[in-house]
Amino acid sequence: MSLNEFIKKIFFIEILKGLLLTLKHFFSPPVTRQYPKEKREPFPGSRGLHALVRNPATGQEKCVGCGLCAAICPSRCIYIYTSEGEDHKKIVDRYEIEVLRCVFCALCVEACPYGALVLTPHYEYSGYTRKEFYYTKEMLLENWDKYMANTIGFEYFDRFWRPKSSDFKIQSEVKIEEERKVS
Amino acid sequence: MAESLWIALKVFIFANIIMLHVAYAVYFERKVIGHMQARMGPMRVGWHGLLQPIADGIKLFFKEDIIPSQADRAIFYIAPVIGVVAAVSSFAVIPLWEGFSIADLNIGILYILALSSVGAYSVILGGWSSNSKYSFLGGLRSSAQVISYEIALGLSLVGVMMLAGSANLRDIVNAQADGWFIWTQPVGFFVFLMAAIAETNRLPFDLPEAETELVAGYCTEYSGMRFGLFFMAEYAGMFVMSSLATLCFFGGWRGIDFWIFSKIPGIVWFLIKVYAFIFFYFWIRATLPRYRYDQLMNLGWKLFLPLALANIAFTGLLKLL
Repeated sequence: MSLNEFIKKIFFIEILKGLLLTLKHFFSPPVTRQYPKEKREPFPGSRGLHALVRNPATGQEKCVGCGLCAAICPSRCIYIYTSEGEDHKKIVDRYEIEVLRCVFCALCVEACPYGALVLTPHYEYSGYTRKEFYYTKEMLLENWDKYMANTIGFEYFDRFWRPKSSDFKIQSEVKIEEERKVS
Repeated sequence: MAESLWIALKVFIFANIIMLHVAYAVYFERKVIGHMQARMGPMRVGWHGLLQPIADGIKLFFKEDIIPSQADRAIFYIAPVIGVVAAVSSFAVIPLWEGFSIADLNIGILYILALSSVGAYSVILGGWSSNSKYSFLGGLRSSAQVISYEIALGLSLVGVMMLAGSANLRDIVNAQADGWFIWTQPVGFFVFLMAAIAETNRLPFDLPEAETELVAGYCTEYSGMRFGLFFMAEYAGMFVMSSLATLCFFGGWRGIDFWIFSKIPGIVWFLIKVYAFIFFYFWIRATLPRYRYDQLMNLGWKLFLPLALANIAFTGLLKLL
């Protein structure tokens, strides 16, 4: 043991360094977020509670009942029941999601060819029974009205779900279009 | 008759004030450690969590008191009480300011050391009577640890007693009128500080509790207020050791006799020093990990004991010259 090491040992230099570090942190501001009082804005495109898109033209769901979302769902929590209506039209009788089983992978949103399903950024939902988390079609449409009202939902699709038509344009055209949007 | 009533009242008030300090030491600890880890500590009960210790107390008081079916009931009941009684009655000889102490014993230091040994019984008996392997291991560890560190603790104070020529805490403080004993007894102070941490089972020497190894050590099987009593005993023990360090090495109620500082009353000086030590306890806890058991024993027998003995020899030599 060299003299230097010996001195370090008997004067607890390493421990004093550690004490200094904790003291420094004592005077640094805490990083805690006081959750229910201080809520954090969810990041854009974050994946929370599900919603079915309401078609502004008809006031009904956009969903056509093709069942692709149910097919791709890894946790098998989407149930779709359809029947045949007038003119051989397909009618979605029931569209149900068991939210407690969902893993929020958003594969359903990706699979949907009509953009009829979204995950809203709403993440604070809780309840006392399992039944409350069994979302029917009406509840899912309501979610759209609540959390994706007005243009929020369509902007969300535009920003986060590809391919969008602007991807196939040359850069200059995209710029012009964006400028038009802003104005 | 009237006099004994007056003393009983004094003791009652004093004990309650101590318990309040103990309760708020828990709050203080959680705040200090929280901030050292860039957290906030308790924030919800009252302004900045100021009522947290009271909420904790009420919760512990109304919790179910579970006694394991195979436990030795009588000892299981009495163990935490021994701890609290030993810790709180140690305060009787501690002079808070000039001329105030519940009992002015001539063997004040010995009394405190004796009671801290009695306090170790609560841990050992609690661990043994629970009839659980974790508790038992905690109790065993505690007995070994307390025996090893008590020697160093006692010997480190011998130097102070030699310098003051008395074991009376009031005389020891008065002997520090010209200079605190920390300047003449730095080695003794160092040994005392470490041994006191080990004696009160605080981190980094909290082997008897050792959450990660022994669940909660000797108090694994305790619940409700009995657990609370162990907790109080530990924190009261910290106060006793901090007070002892203040009295023996930092001049007790004596402050800096200079300018406006001489106007500050003795009790304030005393509390400032005691809380500085309490803060040190928490600071150490937030910084260091737990020692391994053999390291603890090595440290006790091979470092602190020889250091304390050398300190006594050296002090004696100085006294002779």
